[in-house]
Amino acid sequence: MSEPVIVLEQLHKAFGDTVAVDGISMSIRAGEIFGFLGANGAGKTTTMRMLCGLLKPTSGWATLAGEDTWKERARVRARFGYVAQRFSLYPDLTVTENLRFFGGACRVPRSQLDARIGALLKQTDLVKKKDAFAGSLSGGMKQLLALACSLVHDPEVLFLDEPTAGLDPVHRQQLWNLLYELGESGKTIFVTTHYMDEAERCTEIGFLHSGRLLVKDEPRALKRSFTTRLLDLHVEPVMTALSLLREVPGVLGVALRSGRVRVYAAEPERLVNEWQQAWPFPQIQWLGYEWVDPDMEDVFSAYSQGFTEILKLGTQIEAELNHG
Amino acid sequence: MLASLHAIFSVATKEFLHIIRDRRIVILLLILPPFFTLLFGHAFEAGAIKGIPAVLQDRDQSAESTNLLSELRHNETFAWRELPAKPPVEPDLLKLGVQAMLVVPQGWGSSLREGKPTPLQLVLDGSDTNTAFSMQGAVHEAIGHLQLEARQKLLGSLPVEVQAIGQQVPEETRQQFTSLLQPWEVDAKILYNPNLKFIEFVVPGIIGLILQLLSVTLMACTITREREGGTFSQLMVTSLGRTEIVIGKVLPYLGISLLLIAMTIGVAHWHFGVQFRQPLVLALICLLFLLSSLGLGLLISAFCQTQTQAIQIAVFFLLPVFPLSGAFASLDALPQGVRMISYTFPLTHFCTAFRNINLRNADISYITGDLVFLAAATVITCAGAALLLRRNSE
Repeated sequence: MSEPVIVLEQLHKAFGDTVAVDGISMSIRAGEIFGFLGANGAGKTTTMRMLCGLLKPTSGWATLAGEDTWKERARVRARFGYVAQRFSLYPDLTVTENLRFFGGACRVPRSQLDARIGALLKQTDLVKKKDAFAGSLSGGMKQLLALACSLVHDPEVLFLDEPTAGLDPVHRQQLWNLLYELGESGKTIFVTTHYMDEAERCTEIGFLHSGRLLVKDEPRALKRSFTTRLLDLHVEPVMTALSLLREVPGVLGVALRSGRVRVYAAEPERLVNEWQQAWPFPQIQWLGYEWVDPDMEDVFSAYSQGFTEILKLGTQIEAELNHG
Repeated sequence: MLASLHAIFSVATKEFLHIIRDRRIVILLLILPPFFTLLFGHAFEAGAIKGIPAVLQDRDQSAESTNLLSELRHNETFAWRELPAKPPVEPDLLKLGVQAMLVVPQGWGSSLREGKPTPLQLVLDGSDTNTAFSMQGAVHEAIGHLQLEARQKLLGSLPVEVQAIGQQVPEETRQQFTSLLQPWEVDAKILYNPNLKFIEFVVPGIIGLILQLLSVTLMACTITREREGGTFSQLMVTSLGRTEIVIGKVLPYLGISLLLIAMTIGVAHWHFGVQFRQPLVLALICLLFLLSSLGLGLLISAFCQTQTQAIQIAVFFLLPVFPLSGAFASLDALPQGVRMISYTFPLTHFCTAFRNINLRNADISYITGDLVFLAAATVITCAGAALLLRRNSE
């Protein structure tokens, strides 16, 4: 974990008048598993496509292992693998034929190709399916095959765009175990996701909002960025509580968590005191409360909904959120 | 270089697998060429139009009209149905279920004898211009034949006195007169396709039709299929160059198209007895034509976003090509302006060149222009496709 392998400098992409990526600067060190978070449309895929040399940046630049991802894209391509958001292999080709094609296309020497394919099949647990058509595989196996295809030329960096979207928990687990193995073997992994449990497994997280990078840090550090404690209320019925509590002055937001109502507020202690003295909602039954530590989902909610009052933010980011 | 060949080979293998995995396409490829060849070969076999349904009404019932009728019955152009002499019939072809109606008017025979021939009444269906012309021609031919016979008979039976008068006419005039009374003959010698077999003419048209249809439409789907399937981005992040993609995609289609040509030529040769001259030159013409068709397909493919669009554009482009390229009919029938458009189609140059070599046994220098055109079309379409692929990636 030393020198940066991916560097973005004021990377900017506009489609006509629409700004998709608005000046991202950051660097990712070799061997990191970097999780790229943000709501749909925040610019994650656009950023990733620029890093893969599939889109030309409007301004700014990015480098991968020191080479410009657009100008040197022909050379850079040999250094990374890319798993796109949707299944993008050939359904009418078998597992082995897909691997063989991408091996040839990525210029894996013929003498090494068979051994390489054998190893990847074993690693992704697809040996039994090697002669099955890719189109006949289950969603999870398709993603494992896509991963195998992106690894066929043994790249240093791996880009994955929501690789686990729509997968069952077993296959998600399997895919992440593989990503860990790859990270340990020194590969840099750049992955976008919507799953917070996955975000927690990353060594570093970047949070994107409207094309801007709000924060980039380790998951643990991000969870510590709350300035207040979070409150879980035990109330009945919860749905009525959700809509009523949202309107209470001082409450930034509410969320349903395991049957409890989680309250994000700048001064939660004051609210609890008031409520214990006089519960203002006769139609809701007060059953108790507890203090909880924020998890990644809280981090995501807070950043994506702009709860700036309860986050330790750099001044610039704060201005950005208030502005947006 | 070796790595590049391996990369091209990978693309070609993959593309070939796509083709053979699609059963419907394979069946189409195996059945269409021989089927089209048989169909078109037999369809255009008989050059002349025969057996047009027609009605005939002899309202005269004279010796002359009987003669005319027996002459007409020999003519194969019409399948006559005869109506009774009375009553007069309205010339409603649709109701009569025919395409022509010939009426010999009352008193026609006597009008001939009196030296004031009244015309026959012919009603024709002009909706199909080709048939209308040949029907009219056939009737004229029959009448001419009849008239000639009558004239010979008349001359042979002239009384002696008339011949004596004839002797007084100057020699020169008499000879001119004799010459005019005889049918003039043409000693026709037909070169290049002596038996006037239409199949010999139409073979390049069939090959061209099949190749153009299959190669352009199949090829047009290759890149759009990658776009629709999401594999296009995946293809673009591999180390493959655009040239490698283009060559790799064209190769399997080239191989399959050559097989199609072989099948067509096989049927034309074994079934219709068509001979092929200068096979190497013909192969060169076919190869260049194929490459230009595949290039066109690729260009369409690079230009479109979906397979549906690609097919639609391919059909719109191919539609004018078939009637205007001279594949099945002579280009000479087209007006000058349209013919200029015809010469922008690769198929036109293919047919012209193929016929010059195979029918006329011409030297390759006669078709240099066509070969240059086909080669240029290949380069332009393939380069255009590669450029479009580049523009798309930005």
